[in-house]
Formats: sequence, C-alpha cells, structure tokens
Amino acid sequence: MELLDRYLQAVRKYLPLRRQDDIIAELRANMESQIEDRESELGRPLTQGEFDDFLRKMGHPMVVASRYQPQQYLIGPTLFPMYLYVLRIALLWAFIICMIVAAVVTPLTQQGGQAVFDALFRTPGILIQVAAWITLVFAAFDFARIHYPETCPHIPGVTQNWNPSSLPPIDNPHANCKPRSFTHTVVEIAFGVLFLGWLLIIPHHPFLLMGPGAAYLQAGPFLLAPAWWTFYWLLIAINIMQIAWKCVELARGTWQWPSRMLQIISKAVGLIPVAFLLTTPDHRYVLLKNPATDQLRYGQTLQQVNQGLQFAFGVVCAIVVLQLAFDSAKWILEAYRSRETAAL
Amino acid sequence: MTRSADTGNERRRMTVAESTFENLRLELRRGCLTLAVLAQLKQEHYGYTLRKELAGHGLEIDESTLYPLLRRLETQGLLASQWREEDKRNKRFYRLSPDGEQILARLLDEWNTTNDSISSILDALRQDTK
Repeated sequence: MELLDRYLQAVRKYLPLRRQDDIIAELRANMESQIEDRESELGRPLTQGEFDDFLRKMGHPMVVASRYQPQQYLIGPTLFPMYLYVLRIALLWAFIICMIVAAVVTPLTQQGGQAVFDALFRTPGILIQVAAWITLVFAAFDFARIHYPETCPHIPGVTQNWNPSSLPPIDNPHANCKPRSFTHTVVEIAFGVLFLGWLLIIPHHPFLLMGPGAAYLQAGPFLLAPAWWTFYWLLIAINIMQIAWKCVELARGTWQWPSRMLQIISKAVGLIPVAFLLTTPDHRYVLLKNPATDQLRYGQTLQQVNQGLQFAFGVVCAIVVLQLAFDSAKWILEAYRSRETAAL
Repeated sequence: MTRSADTGNERRRMTVAESTFENLRLELRRGCLTLAVLAQLKQEHYGYTLRKELAGHGLEIDESTLYPLLRRLETQGLLASQWREEDKRNKRFYRLSPDGEQILARLLDEWNTTNDSISSILDALRQDTK
C-alpha cells in the first residue's frame, strides 16, 4: 500500500488546492475497493508487478489529476473565433505600423542600412509581444467569464447578433483566372518588404541604385534636384500602401481573388510619382553644384540630361496610362458580360 | 523505391484513418457515457461499484474518466453525494438529484429521437439498395 500512498501523493500535487483532500479520499476509497476485489478474486495479495500494472492502468498522476481541473484550455470555443479575428487584425496593424515607423525613421537616421536591418529584425519580436498580450487578455477574460459569469457583461458573440446582409458577395472569379495561392501572396509581401528596405537604404548608399554612377554623381559637377526627395517619399508611401493592402487581403482571407478595381486603383496611384516629376517646374531634375562657375562648361549637357529625363518620364507615363486604359476596359467588359450572363 | 514509398503512403493513410475513427468514436461515446452514468445512478452507487455495474452492462469506462465525470455532474447539480461508511471504509455515494432526474428524462427523449432517426435513415438506405 506504500505505492498507493505515493501514487495518491503524486496525484494530489496537481489537483486544485481547495478540493485536494476530498478528491484524494474518494480516489483512495475507490482504488482500495478495487484492489480488495482483485485480491479476493485471486485469493492472494497483488504482486509488485500486478500493483504496478494496476497503477499504470489508472494513468499518470498528472493525467488523472488534470481530469479534475475545471478548465483545460486557455481560451474556450465561445471566445476562440473572436480571439483569432482580433489576433489577425492586431498582428496586421502592428506589422503595418512597424513598416511605417521604419520607413519614416530610417531615412532620418544616419545609420542607413543598419537601421533598416534593425527595424526588420525588431518586427518579429514586436509581433510576438502583441500576440502574447492579446492571448493573455482573452485568457483572463475567458477565465472570468467562466468562473464569475455574473460580473462579466454578456458577450455579443460572433454567433448571435450578426447581420446576414453583411456577408461578403459570392466569389465570381473569371473562368480563365487561376486563384492566387497563399504562398504567392506571402512571397509578394516578403518581396515588398525587402524592396521597401532597399528603397530606405538608397539615400545612405546611392550605389545600390546607380552603381558606379553614384561615385560620378558625387565627384561630378551635377546634383539631383530636391523634387527627387518628394518622388522618393511618394514611392515609399505607395509601397507601404501596397504591402498593407496585401496584408489586409491575407487577414480577410480574400487573397485568392484580389479585387480588380483595387488592382486598377493601385496602378493609377503608381502614376502619381511619375506625374509629379513630369509637372516639376522647368523640368529641372538635375542641377549644377556650382552654377556660377560650371554653367558655361556644363550648361548644354545639363539641358540635354533634363530633356532626356523628361522624355523618359513621358514615355513611362504614357505606357502606364495605356496599361491602365486597357485594364479598365477589360474590367468593364468582364463586368458587363457577367451581368449579361446573370440576366440570362 | 516506388514500392516502399507506396507502402509508406498506405501506412500513413491507415494511421490517419485510424486516428480519425478514434476521435469520432470518443466523441460519440462521450455523450453516451454521461447518459449511462445518469441512468445508472437512479440507484445509489459509489465510484467503484458504479464502474462495475456499467462494465456488467458492457460499458467499460476508465477510472480516470468516470471519477472526474461524477464530480462534474455533481457540480452541475445533476447528482447529489454523501460520505458514508461501508465495509469499515468511508465512501462517497452518488445518486441522481431531482434536477438530474428531469435532465435525464429529457436526454433520454433526445436519445430515443436520434436513435429512431438513425434507424429510419438506415432502413431507407437498406430498401434503396435492395
């Protein structure tokens, strides 16, 4: 019976404090009756091996005790769907905010590339912290809801007060289109973040954009006009917007069939930086470092460079506008056809 | 190489199927056990004799499942218990409470309705296949 005492002592350790004595007394009575029954069947006391088997069949003390615990989970099925929804949204916004902060702070610091790497490596830690806090809050709320139901407000719940008309429309993918995979979207986001990091490093390491031309720009008589800074910030803003949009698609579970209208809007927004450069006063994209001394020598080259850039921006703008017009026409045609099909 | 890969896949499929069956079996059994325990406790029992009675009717149930279940049902007000000495040993005896009797009656109705429905579905299927 010493083994039985040791077993019950081990079970006791994992039991709720208030009910330990009661549960152990009951467990002891049941187990002793069972042992007595078995011994009277055999007509002899149980051997050590048989006793071991009996205890093994009862289960590990931790498992036996766990069955007496009132709650076996952190967040129960009532709150879990809401928890998952809040977690997804919170992680998404934490990620977007991290990206925005990195985008705004990095160009202002002197460390350049190091600052971008720091921001990228800091992000997972922040996301884990956000997830941990949300889990903790929901676990505490679920505990209070179960143990003190009178003190907790009634949870409107994701199952009761929902509005059927708020359901998303039926997916109507084009017959020839393949759904975009989850991996595809995640890879797009990852590359978007890498591209953003690369953009953020450029002011500190122009070599990454211009190659050996960066050294020439530094040593040569020319410098970039301030308009390029506005262009640069517009590019960063658009990039963040595109990453955020893809994250929202992931969070909403709509990554398979991205909205055509949003794709067109995104392309149209991409026109803004180029249009801005095209409307720069006098189309001065490159300036002379010392106009007083170099104007005579480099004036004509400067004019040719600026004209060339203006022409290039015009071509880029025209191509994007044509693409935009083509996509819009295709979208309108598809919408018209699907309406016709629906009418039939 | 291909044959061993096939055997591996087959074994994996069997394991998944076995685990699915086990999960469904446990799910099905969980509610039935509660019903059986409530029905059996129309007569007073303590844990071990209740387990023996159920086993006598072909319903084997682990100690580590039955004893906590009794506690839970008591907390829910479906069972009443009292400590009493029997055979020179203190034992906790359980019996169906008045609330428990009402709930048991309703659960049995539900059980019978479900059972009839399943029988009806199976009968219809049997007739269709003839």
